Amino acid sequence: MPHPPHRADPQTGSPPLLSRRRLLLGTGALALGSALGASGCAPGPGPGSTTEVRFWSLFQGGDGARVETMLDAVHAQAPHLRVTPSTLAWGPPYYTKLAVASVGGRAPETAVLHLSRLPGYAPGGLLEPFDPDLLAEFGVTAEDFVPGLWERGVHDGDVYAVPLDTHPVIVFYDTGAADRAGLLDGDGRLTGMDSPEGFLQASRALAEAGGGSGVSFGHVNDDSQGWRLFWMLYNQTGASLDLPEGGPAGLDRDAALRVYAFLADLFDGRTSEPDLTYPTALAAFASGRSAMLICGEWELPYLLEHVEDLGAAPFPTVFDRPGGYADSHAFVLPRQGDPGPERTRAAHEFVALMVRNSLTWGEAGHIPAYSPVARSSEYLALKPQADYAAAGETPVLDPEAWFAGAGSQFHSDVSEALRTALSGDGPEAAVEHLERTLDSWAARTNPGGAR
Amino acid sequence: MSAQAGAPARPRAEGGPPPGLPGAVRRLWRRSADSPAPFLLPFLLVYTLFLVWPLLSGLWMSFTDIALNGAGGAFVGAENYAEALGDPLVWRTLGNTVLFTLLTTVPLVVIALAMAVLVQTGLPGQWLWRLSFFLPFLLPVATVVLVWNFLYVEDFGLLNQALGLFGAEGLGWLTDESTAMWSVVLTTVWWTVGFNFLLYLAALQSIPGRLYEAAALDGAGAWARLRHVTLPQLRGTTAVVLLLQVLASLKVFDQIYLLTGGGPGEATRSLLLYIYDVGFTGYRFGYGAAVSYLFLALVLGVAALQLWISARRKG
Repeated sequence: MPHPPHRADPQTGSPPLLSRRRLLLGTGALALGSALGASGCAPGPGPGSTTEVRFWSLFQGGDGARVETMLDAVHAQAPHLRVTPSTLAWGPPYYTKLAVASVGGRAPETAVLHLSRLPGYAPGGLLEPFDPDLLAEFGVTAEDFVPGLWERGVHDGDVYAVPLDTHPVIVFYDTGAADRAGLLDGDGRLTGMDSPEGFLQASRALAEAGGGSGVSFGHVNDDSQGWRLFWMLYNQTGASLDLPEGGPAGLDRDAALRVYAFLADLFDGRTSEPDLTYPTALAAFASGRSAMLICGEWELPYLLEHVEDLGAAPFPTVFDRPGGYADSHAFVLPRQGDPGPERTRAAHEFVALMVRNSLTWGEAGHIPAYSPVARSSEYLALKPQADYAAAGETPVLDPEAWFAGAGSQFHSDVSEALRTALSGDGPEAAVEHLERTLDSWAARTNPGGAR
Repeated sequence: MSAQAGAPARPRAEGGPPPGLPGAVRRLWRRSADSPAPFLLPFLLVYTLFLVWPLLSGLWMSFTDIALNGAGGAFVGAENYAEALGDPLVWRTLGNTVLFTLLTTVPLVVIALAMAVLVQTGLPGQWLWRLSFFLPFLLPVATVVLVWNFLYVEDFGLLNQALGLFGAEGLGWLTDESTAMWSVVLTTVWWTVGFNFLLYLAALQSIPGRLYEAAALDGAGAWARLRHVTLPQLRGTTAVVLLLQVLASLKVFDQIYLLTGGGPGEATRSLLLYIYDVGFTGYRFGYGAAVSYLFLALVLGVAALQLWISARRKG
């Protein structure tokens, strides 16, 4: 392994933040841990003149392997960085761990955060801003990113997040079935699905041409899927959503009804199932029983292995304007108990190098956020990545609210409305359900707001 | 025998301190010679650190608006409790918890008893039955859930395939609001029935054979022996099993978290799951603590009721 071996205890013995005490009041175990930790010695810079960069990520499986490759590249380009990666399981608890680490003042130098979670993080004082000059020194500037994306990493004028990718929801399809269903144009691109009627017809044609089921989409018992699909289509209608502090939420009910009614028509139980779980939908498509899958591009490595004639395209513009639900993995600098200029500098260099080496990341299916990579001929030669790369230009990110974002309770709550539309009381009830949920969230105050 | 070199084994009947200790330590040694305190100290330390202290500080938290990230922390009086009592999700998830407790406790007692009696009546290959009834209990919850997840898969799971053989339509085991709780119950019963089975089996084996002998002499058949000897003798065990089971079922978390995550909808979300969501992913430690203490009061109530009933029965 080219990375230096993992240090058992990167504990810095730092003076704790004042607020850490208050948190630990409640958790005896943690209190003990930190008491023991505080007596540990400060390690200082390691042998040679390397600087340690601890890096927390949530990438497992194929993504995890790609990160390893990228770390190798970074190590080759900057041997003076001693990178200690830690992979944590993805799921809502990831952000709990990250928050606790920051509060305790023992956070890693850098970590991956979904850009959609930034509004809940930056104001709470859990993150340090990047130094744009330092980033520029290592070759990364704001102009290198899709503007909408970079802006989402800025809070109060400071840059808190450097995006690594966009990972949109797209459509995967079986090219054979799509061809038989007459959905491919002369260049082999998906066509005719750019209206609700067209999409419905395509779904029926796909069911006939394929394994009996048209479009698969898994959302039951999932924490985010129901919201992703709704929010994407809602944005396609051009409607906006206001979430003023204290509520009530400003939902365009007509637009929401259009979306849910369309989805109820699509997943009617005849050509497309209304109540699949995420793994079932994935399996149905991978095994050829359905001809199209609505899913995040992150399933690409798995699907490439299991589907012979795999096609992929940005989610069709069903309504009035293009847009694919997307989030973005971004690098952040969690607040540390005793930040040092040397480690801050090393973290900046590491982040810049990771972003510049993100071609590897593109191979995993994610669209690199760093334009020089995304526009490179190497990336555009990747198939089928290049076929949906356009989705990176029109990402629909979560509403900017402290409670929104990947792995949030908000996501699981609002996702439920889709189930109401598809296997509950129907689209009208789903709009009620959604509005009620949005109102309730907008009315809450941010528990982690003022520190 | 002491293995330490140079320290000859000396009689300790007097309990005197070994020579060579400073005076103060010797005095302390003497004074504590008759007291159990030194033996209790390690336990008390751990007990205080990990149970008493968290219990008290948790109670304090429940009166504040402290958040996981350290924000807040101001005293808010009984606000959290008031909010909890008016929170429909608290009631919904409490209802789910109680439902789960009812649905699991009955089969987990009855089936365990039936299995123990069957094994005890002398099925051939007793050890095999004992082993296979108890084995699932030894599996970690993650394994159990993994296996059952496969069984429950809608379109190619074993259960729906089996239903298909009989021409029946497959069920949405974990995806249908009306069946999901039953699926969780089924998994739980399969997984944990072995423990109660073992308790019953031990109790059965300790019923003196002469009771059966006497009953047989009086002309009692197998059924009468079961009704009038076995079951009355098991009453004490049943009370224990029932209490343990109710408490275990009330604190259900892991299999639901792993199987359905509380879905579909709120159909299988238990109160502990809700507390976890509110506190750990929602950051609201204070509110989560308040709901926990309400739940604690409920559990204590159940335990007290149980004590009262068993005391009355004895009286």
